[in-house]
Amino acid sequence: MKFLNLLKKELRELINKQMIIGLVITFAMLLAIGQITSSVMDDVGSDTGTVNICDHDKTDYTKQLIKAVSDAGFEVKELEGDSSDRAQLLQDLDVENLIIIPEGFTKEVTESGKSGVIEKISSMQSSSALASLNDKSSAAVEIMENTTKQYIMTKNGLTAEETALIDSPLSINEVTVVKDKSAAISSETISSLISTQSMVIPIVVFILVMFTSQMIITAISTEKIDRTLETLLSAPVSRISVLFSKMLAAAIVALINAAIYMLGFKGYMGSFLEGEIDASVIGEALTVNDIMKDLGLKIGVSGYVLVGLQMFMTILVCLAVSLILGALVNDAKSAQTVLMPIMVCAMIPYLVSMIYDINLLSPAVRTLLYAIPFTHTFTAMNNIMFGNMTLYWGGLAYQVVLFIICMFFALKIFTSDKIFTISLNFGQKRKLKKANK
Amino acid sequence: MANVLEVKELSKQYSKVLAANKISFTIGKGEIFALIGPNGAGKTTTIRMISTLIKPTAGNVLVDGHSIISEPDKVRECITYLPDEAGAYKTMTGKGYLKFMAGIFADTKNQADEFVNRASEMSSLGERLDEKIASYSRGMIRKLLLSRAVMTRPKLAILDEPTSGLDVINALEIRKMIKKLAHEDGMSFLLSSHNMLEIEYVSDRVGIISGGILHTVGRIDELKERYNAANLEEVFEMVVNENEVP
Ligand SMILES: Nc1ncnc2c1ncn2[C@@H]1O[C@H](COP(=O)(O)OP(=O)(O)OP(=O)(O)O)[C@@H](O)[C@H]1O
Ligand SMILES: [Mg+2]
Repeated sequence: MKFLNLLKKELRELINKQMIIGLVITFAMLLAIGQITSSVMDDVGSDTGTVNICDHDKTDYTKQLIKAVSDAGFEVKELEGDSSDRAQLLQDLDVENLIIIPEGFTKEVTESGKSGVIEKISSMQSSSALASLNDKSSAAVEIMENTTKQYIMTKNGLTAEETALIDSPLSINEVTVVKDKSAAISSETISSLISTQSMVIPIVVFILVMFTSQMIITAISTEKIDRTLETLLSAPVSRISVLFSKMLAAAIVALINAAIYMLGFKGYMGSFLEGEIDASVIGEALTVNDIMKDLGLKIGVSGYVLVGLQMFMTILVCLAVSLILGALVNDAKSAQTVLMPIMVCAMIPYLVSMIYDINLLSPAVRTLLYAIPFTHTFTAMNNIMFGNMTLYWGGLAYQVVLFIICMFFALKIFTSDKIFTISLNFGQKRKLKKANK
Repeated sequence: MANVLEVKELSKQYSKVLAANKISFTIGKGEIFALIGPNGAGKTTTIRMISTLIKPTAGNVLVDGHSIISEPDKVRECITYLPDEAGAYKTMTGKGYLKFMAGIFADTKNQADEFVNRASEMSSLGERLDEKIASYSRGMIRKLLLSRAVMTRPKLAILDEPTSGLDVINALEIRKMIKKLAHEDGMSFLLSSHNMLEIEYVSDRVGIISGGILHTVGRIDELKERYNAANLEEVFEMVVNENEVP
C-alpha cells in the first residue's frame, strides 16, 4: 500500500511534459530517418540511371557503341551541345553526368590503331557512398570499352569465343560466408548493411543510459537538496522501499522509453530491410531481409529477447551506479558533474564501436573497453548476429556482477548515515566549518 | 508522568568533529522543549539522531519507550520531523503533497483523508493548496510543511527552526498553534530556534547547547533566576561565553 503510494509519486515526478515531448520527438526522428534512408535506397535500387551521351563523331561505329550501352539495360539519352566550359555544358544540358564521344573517334580506333579518347564528365554532389552508386556513366563507359575491345580483336582475326575469353579470363562468383551459411553476395554489401543497422542500436542504448542515469541522479539529489529525503526517511516507511520505489519507477520509465525507441527503430529498419537491392549487385532482385535470413544474420525472436535482456541489465547497472552518484550530490551543480563519468563511459564504447570492430583491437585496448559495462550493450547485437555467444553471455555476466556490487554499496549508503553525510563537495564543508569557528 | 522522550548520553562523532557529546534530557507529555545554541552547536545533529536519520556513536534515545537503535521503525511511527530549510516536491500541488505524506503515515484511506483535511485547515492556504508548490513563497512552503508535521498528531513533533522564513504575523500564528496542540491535545514538541523571543513565548523548558555539549536545561524562569538575567537572550549569552572553548 505504502510502497504503491511511493511508486506512484516517483512515476508522477518522472513522467512529465518534457519527458513525453522528448520521447515523441525521438520517435518521430527515428521514423523520419527510416523514411529518408529507404527512399535513398529505393533510388539506388530502382533507378537504372540515365546515361547522357554527346556523340560528336556520328558514325555507324559510334551508333553501334551507343546501342550496346542501351542494350545493356541503360536508358540512354543522346544530347547535342558543346562548350569548352564543362561545368557550363552540364548546366546547359541540365544533366549530372555526360559522356562525350569526340569527333574523329571512329577514325582513331578503326584506322590509326591508336586508342580512342572518350570524355566522361560527372558532377559530384555529395561524397556519400550511396550517391556514387548512382553513377551509371562509369558502367556505360566500361561497356563502350569492351565493345571497342571486341571490335579490335575481331578485326585482328580472333573468333567470338576467343574474344570473350580474353575479355573475361576469370569469372568471380562472390559468396559471403557467415559461420556455416553462405549467400551469393559480396561481404562489402553485407557489412555496409549491418553497419547501418548497428548504428541505430547504440544510439538507442546511449540515449537510454543517459536518460536513466539522469533520472535517478536527479530524483535522489533533488530530494537531498530539498531535504524531502529527510522527511521521508523519518516517516514510517523503510528506507529500502523508498529506494526501490525510485529504482522501479526509473526502470519502468526507462523500459517504456526503450520500447518506444525500439518501435521507432523497427519502423526505421523495416523500411530499410524491405528495400530491394539493385539487381546488378546480386544477380536477382532480393530484399535485404531475405539475404540476411539466408546468412543467418537476421536475428529472430529469441535474438531480440537476448538484446532486450542485455538492455535491461544495462538499465539496472545504470540505476545502481546512479544511486551511488546521486547520493554523493549535495547541490544542483554537482548533480550535473556526477553525470559526466557515466556519459564518458557510454560515449567511448559508442564511438569506438561505430568506427572499429572491437574484437579486432589490440588485447589491452579491448580489455579496457570490455571493462566498461556499456560496451557489452553496444556489441550485443553483433555478437548475437554472428553467433559469438560466449562474448554475449560473458558480457551479461559481467554486468550482473557489477550490478550486484554497485547495489551492495548503494544499499550500504542508503541504510546508513552515509546518505546524509557523504558528499563530493569538499569546498562547501570547509566553508561551513570556517563559519562555525 | 512517563516521558515521551528520553535522551541518554547521546554522542555523535563525525569524521573530524564531535558534534554531540553525551547529551541528556527528557521531554514529558504535552511539553514543549527547545534546544538553543549558536551555529554549529550540534542542534541539528542531535535532532537527526532522535529522528532516526543518523546513528549515534554512543548513547541512546527512547521515544515513547522505543529505542532509536533497536526499534527505529517503532520510533518513526511516534514522531514527525521537519528539517530546517526543507522544501517540498515542486511538481506537486500543496494538496497532492499532503495526500502523499498522509498516505505514508496513515493505515487506512479514511485516516489519510482525515490527516489531509486537518492539515489543509491548519495551513490556512485555502485555494492555493491546489496550485503547484513551485509557485509557493518560502513562508507558504513552511506553513504547508508545518501543518504536514502536525497533521498526524504524533506523540512527538520535532521541528528544526519551525518559524524561519515566516513573517511576524505568520510566526505568531504558528507559535499559537504549537502551544495549543501541546496544551490541549497533549502533543510534545522538540524545537530548535535562534529566536529567543519565540522560545521565551512558546517553550516550557529549554536546553542550551554549544560545542556539542548541553550545558544547561531548565524552565525559562528558573534559568533567568539562576543566571540573574532579565531575559533568555542574556542567559544564552552568559552560558555560551562561560563555556567557550579557548
Ligand atoms: N555531515 C557532516 N559531516 C561532518 N561534520 C558535520 C556534518 N554535519 C554537521 N557537521 C558538524 O557538526 C557540528 C554540528 O553541526 P549541526 O548542524 O548539528 O549544528 P547546528 O547546531 O544545527 O547549527 P545551526 O544553528 O547552524 O543549524 C558542526 O561543527 C558541523 O560542521
Ligand atoms: Mg541546524
